[in-house]
Amino acid sequence: MSLQKVLFSPVTRLSGLLSVELSLDDNTIVEAAVSSTMFRGYEYIMRNRHVTDAVYLTQRICGICSTAHGAVASYLLDMLYDNDINENAQYLRNIMLGADFLQNHIRHFYFFGLPDFVIMPKRPPFTDQNCYDCRLNAADNARLAGHYIEAVTAAEKSHQLLALFGGKTPHQHSFIHGGVAAAPTADKINQALYLTRDIIKFIERYLLPDTELIAECYDDYFHIGQTQGRLLSFGLFRFGNKNQQLLWKDGISENNNVSKPRLELIQEDISRAWYKRASYEKPSDIYPAPYKPEAYTWTKAVLYNGVHFEGGPLARMIINGFYNGGTSAMDRIVARSLETRLIAELVEKWLNLLTPGEPPINQKTEIAQNRAISVIDAMRGPLLHAALIKDTQVERYDIITPTAWNFSPKDKLGKRGPAETALVGTYIPSPELKYVIPGRIIRSFDPCIQCATH
Amino acid sequence: MEKADFTQFCQANALAGNYRLSAKLLPAARQYLLDHSKAKLPVIWLETSDSGDNNIAFMNTTYPYLNQVLTDMIDLLYSNTFMAAQGEDAFNLLTDSANKYRGKFTLVVEGAVPINDNGIYNVIARTRTRRITALEAVTWLGSLAENVVAIGTCASFGGASSAAPNITGSVGVGSVLSREVINVSGCPVNPDWFVGTLAHLIMYGRPDLDELNRPKLFYGNTVHKHCQRRSYFDKKDFAKKLGDTECMFSQGCAGPKTSSDCPYRQWINHVSWPVKVNTPCIGCTNKDFPDGSSPFFTPLPQKSPEKQPSSGPKGAEKKGVGHESAKSPI
Repeated sequence: MSLQKVLFSPVTRLSGLLSVELSLDDNTIVEAAVSSTMFRGYEYIMRNRHVTDAVYLTQRICGICSTAHGAVASYLLDMLYDNDINENAQYLRNIMLGADFLQNHIRHFYFFGLPDFVIMPKRPPFTDQNCYDCRLNAADNARLAGHYIEAVTAAEKSHQLLALFGGKTPHQHSFIHGGVAAAPTADKINQALYLTRDIIKFIERYLLPDTELIAECYDDYFHIGQTQGRLLSFGLFRFGNKNQQLLWKDGISENNNVSKPRLELIQEDISRAWYKRASYEKPSDIYPAPYKPEAYTWTKAVLYNGVHFEGGPLARMIINGFYNGGTSAMDRIVARSLETRLIAELVEKWLNLLTPGEPPINQKTEIAQNRAISVIDAMRGPLLHAALIKDTQVERYDIITPTAWNFSPKDKLGKRGPAETALVGTYIPSPELKYVIPGRIIRSFDPCIQCATH
Repeated sequence: MEKADFTQFCQANALAGNYRLSAKLLPAARQYLLDHSKAKLPVIWLETSDSGDNNIAFMNTTYPYLNQVLTDMIDLLYSNTFMAAQGEDAFNLLTDSANKYRGKFTLVVEGAVPINDNGIYNVIARTRTRRITALEAVTWLGSLAENVVAIGTCASFGGASSAAPNITGSVGVGSVLSREVINVSGCPVNPDWFVGTLAHLIMYGRPDLDELNRPKLFYGNTVHKHCQRRSYFDKKDFAKKLGDTECMFSQGCAGPKTSSDCPYRQWINHVSWPVKVNTPCIGCTNKDFPDGSSPFFTPLPQKSPEKQPSSGPKGAEKKGVGHESAKSPI
């Protein structure tokens, strides 16, 4: 049988603009190319600015995970200024970051993922859903479709909790270098506790049983969309006066052996991305090259020790021993929902550990070092910011995001990244499933193309 | 039914007695609702070059909540974020809706439009033969829409996507269309400003706009004018650091040059706003955001636009828009 091409464009229900090209042979995907089709240039935008602009400006990279960029930029500035972070600030920072995770995971499951598995009402924005493989019985289907509305308020409450301390969101204001500018007062702590308890109720009453039902009805997806089993996490929830302790550990997991990630082994590879090197003298200077013939995406490949790695809730949960399973599409979905409950419970615990008082912030004004790299896991996986400064001006700012790991194009050796690997080998039994099955696999990674290309 | 007719109608039927009022009134009310459900706004939502923060902000709307907006106020015909359709089915919905609701739909654009290199830095979809750039899609749909609403500062004025050195030549939607664009700026937009603008379009038509084409209803006053900390400013009692409770002017606050109702309205079910958490307003609704607000923590008079990054790899040259007529991509 001859090779059949499927152009999957646009891949909807995700953050940003993504197209995917698939080649099928005998109804099986034999090649995949994931193509991010937007570019803004944040690494150039950050240059020549005052380095303290980093928290607010890099949050603008992403709408659904802005607090993760704000957090990692704050840790970076804490290193550059050698700030000391007090205990209240540590709790408040993690409460805000945790709240944004809750928002992300709830919205991903219900707004982006649900229409992959549940027949939605036949009206906008659900027209032409064409889910030819929706398997829930009528009563279950109607119930889960109705939970879309419950998710609307639960996700809004997650952002309300974040805004109580952050001033607004997306792009919160108070989690900045030196601590947190908002005061944890009794009234706010109490309001936040009640919001958190509502969110926990939602997770227990809707998110977890709904995930379980979908995992049951679509249990073949525990064998579909598998990756190489190489997982990476930078860890999650920093504590300590120098942000030095991770509550959930970082790790590189290969064949179930977990070791500590070494940042110096991370490399970007632009062979198949629309970029070129400025010159042989300055190989680290990379510029856009939108007409580069062999390229197919604005996302640079990112490699650890020369190979691709997958990040996200599944990687975090496996590395920390919270989840024992494979690397399939359904494992990713289940791990994300289980993580949501763990994070909600932590947020409640941290709120109870706050001591009401003054804004916990102490920003030093003298630069202590001129370069720094900081990392943390964002919602979708490992996030890295690195800066080189002169006085207080940014000379160079590098950003490597979770979706750059997961939606890496092929590297110079032609090796596929996690999403392409997950797609290749998938059996598409009939033509009307040409978007349904790849769509489920792609969304199980919760891709964010704004982050991936920045 | 006009108000005067209604009064007369009530009076006439009240005099007639015997519950004739409700018998007459209920069908009229039903007809009113029926007529008004027809006024549900058909919306095509294009995501172009931004962070997606405006669709997240839209999800945060309260009273009405997101599901109520989608059910009662608008028919969201195309939206990369929300639509169930995918691939070619989604793209076909875009072209079919644009034709079916030609002259009747409201185009919402979320994001700036890159114009360098014929807009290749943002492709909203691909067909078998070619790439549909944001520039082409906005130009084409902008020519067919009844209203064009730019949501967020990137769509309104270029915003962070057009920050120096602006390699992609990103501009606001108004710069590529020769028609009126309603700018609902903010980074992100406050959902009230956006949903309120839609409500105005549905119930009363086009809202009154300021000189930057923003609804006066939300952008009619400066942050400074209505700031809770204005009394500190008047007494020259300035914060010494972030986290203080005095006026944030000393910490870089752009409130005096920023039009929005944040101090009154606040964010996310109206619980807070940046100054309330002891940080400056960074002027995110402004035409010159973010470059005109940067460095964010430097007081306004010392923010120095001439020191802003100017020369990037390719410079920030803004080429003319190289497209003449709106055309359908298929």
